Amino acid sequence: MNLTSKANCGSRPRMAVGVTAVLLLAACASTPPAPTANLQAAQQAIAAAERSEAARYAPGELSEAHIKLALADSAVSEKKMVVAERFADQSRAEAELASAKTSAAKANAVNDEMKHSNGTLVDEMKRGSGDKP
Amino acid sequence: MNTINHSNVIVRSTLIATAVASILLAAACATAPVKPDGAAEARAKLTQLQSDPNLASRAAVAIKDADAAVRIAEQPELNKELAAHRVYLADRKVDTAKALAETRFAEDQRAGLTAQRDSARLDARTHEADAAKVQAATARAEGAEQKLAADQARSEAGAAQLAAASSEQQAAELQRQIDVLQAKPTDRGLVLTLGDVLFTTGRADLKPGATGNLDKLVAFLNKYPDRSVAIQGYTDSVGTEDFNQRLSERRADSVKSYLTGQGIGSTRLSALGKGRNDPVADNDSATGRQQNRRVEVIISNPPAALR
Repeated sequence: MNLTSKANCGSRPRMAVGVTAVLLLAACASTPPAPTANLQAAQQAIAAAERSEAARYAPGELSEAHIKLALADSAVSEKKMVVAERFADQSRAEAELASAKTSAAKANAVNDEMKHSNGTLVDEMKRGSGDKP
Repeated sequence: MNTINHSNVIVRSTLIATAVASILLAAACATAPVKPDGAAEARAKLTQLQSDPNLASRAAVAIKDADAAVRIAEQPELNKELAAHRVYLADRKVDTAKALAETRFAEDQRAGLTAQRDSARLDARTHEADAAKVQAATARAEGAEQKLAADQARSEAGAAQLAAASSEQQAAELQRQIDVLQAKPTDRGLVLTLGDVLFTTGRADLKPGATGNLDKLVAFLNKYPDRSVAIQGYTDSVGTEDFNQRLSERRADSVKSYLTGQGIGSTRLSALGKGRNDPVADNDSATGRQQNRRVEVIISNPPAALR
């Protein structure tokens, strides 16, 4: 758009204004395409989060991702494609956060278990040696 | 908007346009510090993540993405919704980067934990092995002790057997000696009867060459030094009681003298005359009287009886 107006503005400024206005109007009048790629990306991110048991480890974020995706879908049906794209992107970000939090929680759980069992081993050994005179 | 301003300015004059542009730019600079709400918080979180030595290097790509998102969020934006959207994305991306870094950090720590666990297990096994060794040593020691006890018991049994054998042997030897003496075991002890063949009738001195039986007695007493001897003289009923009493005493004394002369300690010997008492046969017959004329040597049983 910028290029168009710059190209025109040198010679006939008034016409440029008209063309710009027409272009803007045209843009507004025609329905922009749905943000299909963004919606798909959000869906995939949610599916990945669900596969990683995010419902258990990051239920808030997962639920938020679902809500944002629903809002995106609803915006698409209202032809508010810009809004739909934002909600789709937010849904994806939220789902990715859910996955990341899930993996962190799982990793920490594994470490805690290892620490616990190490502690148990050490304790058992100490107790074992305590029994011996 | 920018475009429209621009075209308008150019329409009037290039110089004015430049001036206006300058003013606009200055104005833009003046409003530049106004960042969208929440962008500062996102930046602060990101800065904290980037300065955490445990996390900063662990999710480089995600942190770079988050940084880019924060930069976009920080751009002044009059469209509040767009600004809020950008801040939202930046905030989630920073959180995501932090969670990923934490995941990597936990995973990296695992090697250390595994090493710790292995070390603890090794310690536990070493300890178990040591305990087992101690147990084995104890068991060995106990075994050795038991073996020692068994050996001792065996050796004691052997000694007892030996002692038993030896005592059996001794008993057999004693019996053999007794048989040689032709002594009779009685309640009073072994009784050796020396017949009157030792003495001439009416006399108390021993017949020379008739001491064979007495020499056997000497040998026996030498072999069993813990035994003492009671020598008792007897006569038949011929003659007065007084005479027979003195005769029996002198004959008993003769035997005692002979024994002391052969080296038997006099403390082991006692001599007693019994006259014509305690006949062992009828004095009416010559055979009976001969049996009654005798010296009995009574060998006492030892303090702890051998038999």
